[in-house]
Order: sequence, then structure tokens, then C-alpha cells
Amino acid sequence: MSVLEMKNIKKSFGDLEVLKDISFSVDEGQVVSIIGPSGSGKSTILRCATMLETINGGEFSYLGRKAAWEENGQVVYAPKDQLREIKKDFGLVFQNFNLFPHYSVIKNLTDAPINVQKRNKDEVYAEAKELLIKMGLEDKADVYPYQLSGGQQQRVAIARALALKPKMLFFDEPTSALDPELTGEVLKVIKSLTEMKMTMAIVTHEMKFAHDISDRMIFMDGGYIVENCTPDEMFNSTNERLRAFLGKLEGGY
Amino acid sequence: MKKKILAVALCLVMVLTMFAGCGSKDATTGGDTITTFNVGFDAEYPPFGYMDDNGDYTGFDLEVAQAVCDLEGWELIKTPINWDAKDQELNSGAIDCIWNGFTINGREDSYTWSVPYCDNSQVVVVAEGAGIATLADLAGKKVGVQAASAALSVLTDEEAQKELGDSFGELAQFGDYNAAFAELAAGALDALAIDIGVAKYQLNSRGEGFVILDEHLNAEQYGVGFKLGNEELRDIINADLEKLYADGTITALAEKYEIADMIILGA
Amino acid sequence: MSIMVMLKLLSAGMLKSISIFAFTLILSIPLGMLVAFGRMSKNKVISNIIKIYISIMRGTPLMLQLLVVYFGPNLLFGMNIAGYKYPAIIIGFAINYAAYFAEIFRSGIQSMPQGQYEAADVLGYSKRQTFMKIILPQVAKRVLPPVTNETITLVKDTSLAYALSYTEMFTLAKQIAAAQTTFAPLFIGGIFYYVFNFVVAEVMNFIERKMDYYK
Repeated sequence: MSVLEMKNIKKSFGDLEVLKDISFSVDEGQVVSIIGPSGSGKSTILRCATMLETINGGEFSYLGRKAAWEENGQVVYAPKDQLREIKKDFGLVFQNFNLFPHYSVIKNLTDAPINVQKRNKDEVYAEAKELLIKMGLEDKADVYPYQLSGGQQQRVAIARALALKPKMLFFDEPTSALDPELTGEVLKVIKSLTEMKMTMAIVTHEMKFAHDISDRMIFMDGGYIVENCTPDEMFNSTNERLRAFLGKLEGGY
Repeated sequence: MKKKILAVALCLVMVLTMFAGCGSKDATTGGDTITTFNVGFDAEYPPFGYMDDNGDYTGFDLEVAQAVCDLEGWELIKTPINWDAKDQELNSGAIDCIWNGFTINGREDSYTWSVPYCDNSQVVVVAEGAGIATLADLAGKKVGVQAASAALSVLTDEEAQKELGDSFGELAQFGDYNAAFAELAAGALDALAIDIGVAKYQLNSRGEGFVILDEHLNAEQYGVGFKLGNEELRDIINADLEKLYADGTITALAEKYEIADMIILGA
Repeated sequence: MSIMVMLKLLSAGMLKSISIFAFTLILSIPLGMLVAFGRMSKNKVISNIIKIYISIMRGTPLMLQLLVVYFGPNLLFGMNIAGYKYPAIIIGFAINYAAYFAEIFRSGIQSMPQGQYEAADVLGYSKRQTFMKIILPQVAKRVLPPVTNETITLVKDTSLAYALSYTEMFTLAKQIAAAQTTFAPLFIGGIFYYVFNFVVAEVMNFIERKMDYYK
């Protein structure tokens, strides 16, 4: 079964139509990369899927549970309590980390599981410490985000998302805010998640990385999905817009 | 959110009622059972009302008011007021009367007045050796006068001394006597137009350096001011003033405050 | 008057000044928070009413506001205002300072990056939890310097109760000065205010240091 299924999604900001008709799905254990020029709508589709933006048309669902759909040409969202359940299915890692600066690293990881999911405190702390070990941050539990490098902060952000045990993780350009020498450590962590069979959708400009870890790649341009195929097909495609985009990014490939 | 607003509103109401409960219930007009007598006065107006060396409010007017209360068996409440807000204090019922070197002249129709008990003149104080000896010498000078005071109305009233007032270079209003005398001493003001009682107190207390001009601006009288129409209370006070003058209490107090020659009761 | 008596009197007045200060802070900070919410409300009617309120409170002298709050109930409704002076002073100060605090809180809340709200939303925090646990603590740190400024101004502003002849420190100092025909009590009053403000500044400094564990 698909973890995420999006059908005919439309989204506009005022008069600007950013998403025109987007349909795709992510299956369990799949890694999907979304690429495309800036302004193509790739970040917006992520923000719609994580409900930071409301859609203007279409429908989407997680694990068969509908989050939003159309009724008489109007988009309706599921009732609040159902949405709260659905939101537990996914996590999101931001481009700018968005850690809580007033919480220590360990508190960033444990606060939501304890206060939102109401889970057992000792258990949450034990799991959080294990996550930090996986991220190579076991000695950073008690420091505050400002004391960490960008790469370390992003790894904490990934751990924070994982601490809630989501079924699926979204990444919104997770390395764009990092110095080039720090992107490697973050990409390594994301790669390690594929080994755990984590379901993921990643918006990225790191083409080689996307090629290596993805099961499918989606190329977006002008509010449409232009290509949705395997990485090898993507890089051998004859589509002109895709070739032009990849050509510009040669340095990154 | 709504709950929060409600909670804060409730807190405010509680605080308000708490304070309101502390308010003294003083009977004023139509008083079958007057128990307190709430006198409003300017605590910066010696010798009529001011703070004594122990920090208690005293003065000629307040001591007479106390004597009245002793006669009637009332409790005297001394309420210092801001002179600029005296009418609101009186009309709102916060005080029962204004009793504090309160000039009748020019305000006859604004209050219900007791009998005049004190003759007061507006005089001019100048620095010694300033070369000002008569009112005519004040032409072109800078003269200070207290805001909202009788001296101010004398100097701006057509029927009184407006002509003299207009001859001044400037009529400057001041807030308190300390500042006024400091300005006079420093030469920022050439003269002060003030009540004679106040002038005597200030000169006594400050010693050398100032003189009162022999020529007075006018003669006027002090009375106790009540809210218009409060004749019941006025009549009680009038009767008591006569009694207190007859038994010598007022004369003794006047001597204590060195204003004996100003008392005009029993005339 | 001996200096001891003067100090005793002024100390008693200082207690009244401190009580105005304390009650004003206790009332105006939560009230300012509510006003800030009203100002940011999506409801145009509410936000416009609050806007006008803030503009009047900041655009007219506090002394005038005190007179209106004290005498207003009588002038408008003929109410007896005996015993209402102290509450009037507290109300006058509280609604005035609430307006200033509201603008400080509003700018603090609006300066919070959107990402903090989004991160909290994706992690499942409710709106209430987001505000109380994530936003408010950070806003508190951000607004502390301007709040300290206002607090120090409030200490000195308590002397405006003089307009209603409430016998706090400054009114007393003026009365003593009048009776003694000297400025000395006012200078002593100045020292009292300075010492009080010194303590206030130290306390705020301490709180600021306490919050300095993150950036």
C-alpha cells in the first residue's frame, strides 16, 4: 500500500498557480527524490503534503486515510482529531533546521514524544540517546543548538523527526543551508536511513546523491510533474527541459 | 482564549471591588447622621494647610476645622488635593468642603460660602534691593503668580487689576512656592504676586532677602467653600465659627499662626 | 523638621510608590499580553478597537489619563468617588502601561521566525502548546530589554500620582518642601528613586543572565 498518495493537487498563492495538477505516490520503504528548477513547485508540494499549506484542489491520503478531498468543487480537510492522527504518520526536516533554540539537544528530541505523544519518559530518553549515537552526536545531548555546527544541527533535526517514529520522512532541501564541507555528514545520515527501509521523500539539488539513494525520481517544472521514473531513466531522458536543467547543474552531478 | 479574557476581567472586577470596599462612607448633604467631615486642602499652602515638623497635616484652617469637629463630635478627615482639581474633588463628593485659604472674591457664585473669616490681601514680594518699591515699578517686569490662584484672577480680571497685570512684561505661572522663590532669588522672576498670609510665612521661614511691597494688589476674604446648594452643612459650620470665635479659640489659633490681624469674625 | 522624621515620612511614601509600581506591573503585563493578542486578532473590529486604544494611551499624557480615570465616573455617571483615588491610580497606570507592553509583546511575537511555528506544527504540538512551550519562552527573552526600560520608566512615573494628590513619595516630598521652604526633600526623593531603580535594574539584569543559556 502507498504511504502517501497525492491526486490532482492544485495550489495557488493569490493569482499565482504554483501547483497545477500533481499526482504521485510513495510506497512503503521507497525513497523518492523531487528535483527541478527553483519556482517549479517542488518545495510547495512538500509543504502541502505536510499540511503547512492548504491545497486548493485534488486529494491526498496517508496509508489509505484521506487527509483532504474535494466535495462539490471545494477542498475539505478531515476533522481535527483525524488530522492529528494522520500527522503522526510523517515527519519533516527543514532546510533551516528549525530547532528550538531554548531547548537542549536532548530536550529537542524528547519534548514532543513526552508531551505530544504522552509516551513514557524513561523510554523516550533511552531511545533519544540511541538516536544521538546513530547520528554521531552522543556527546552533544546537553548542549544548545547555537553551540553546534550547521551539519550537527541538521542531524539533530533529523533525530528529532525520527524520535516521533513516523512512517515516512520528508526532507526539504536538507543541505541547502549548509557549507559544502558539511553536506556530506548529513547526506551520510540520510543514506543510513535508507538502509533501515525508511520511507522518504526528498527535495534536493544533490543530483548524484539523489541518483544513488532514490528508488524513483520526480522532475518538476512550471507546476507540473514532467518526469516520474527511476534514477537511471531520469539521467538518460531525452526530455528537453530536463536535459536543460541537468545541464545547468553539471557541477553538482 | 475566551477563558483567559474572562479570568482577567474577573480579576480586575475583584481588585476594584476590593478597593471600593475600603472607601470611607462619608455623609455629606441631607446628613441625618454625619460622622465624618472630609476637608480638602492644598498641603503646600502654609500657614493655612501644610505638613508640620512631625509629618502631620496642620495649619490654621485645619486646626479650626478640628475645633469644629470637636464641637460636633465628628471625625475630621484631612484630604490633600491637587489645587487644579479642587472642583472635581468637591463636586464628585470626594471631599465635603474646600477649607484652605480659599478666596471668596471672584468665586461668589461657584460655591456655597461660609461667612468670611479671614481678610486676605494679594501682595507683591520682591527681592531686597531690586529697586521696586511701588506697583507702578512693576511695569515691564516678569511677575510670577501661582497657577489657579486668587492672585492670578485679580491680575486678569477686568474689574480688578487687569490693567496692572497688562503692564507687566510677563505674567508667569508657577506650580509651587519653592520653585517661585528660587526663581525670584536667582533673578529669573522680578516679583511674586501672592496671598499675604503665605508671603509672611515664606519671609519668616526664609529670613533676609525679600520684602513685601506696602501697596497691596487688593483686599479679599477667605471662606470655607461648599458644593453649591449644600446649605445645611454650611449653616452648621457658620454657627460653629461664631461659637469658636466667641470662646476665643479662633483668636488663639490666629495668634499661634501669626495671622491675628487678618481675622474678621465677630465684626 | 528633623532629617529622621523626613526620612521616615519619605520612606512611608516610598512604600506607597512601590505599591503603585507593583500593582501596575502585576496587572499590566497580563493585560498587555491580552491587548497584544487583540491587536494581532484577525477580527478587524477587535484589532481596530485595540489600535485606537493603544494610540490614545500612547498619544496622551499619563497625567491626563489619571485625571480622567479618577474623575470620569463622577463626571459621566455622577458616581460618588470617595475612596476611589488609589484604585483609580492603579487602573490608570495599568491600562497605560498595558498599551506599551502590548506593543513590545506584539513586536516580540511577530519577530519569531515562522519556522518555529511550522516545526512545532509538524511535531504535533497543539496551538496552545506551541505558544506556551515554544514561542512564549523565546519571546520573553527577546522582549526583556525593552520591558526593563519600561519598568525603570514606571518607577519614575509613579510620581505622576501627584496629579491626584495621592501621597506617594513625590507628593510627600513636595508637601514637605513647601512647609520647610527648601528643596532638600526633593533631592532625598531623587535618591530614593535612584536606589529603587538600581534594585530594579539589578533584578532585571539577573533575569537576563538567567535567560542567557541560549542564543
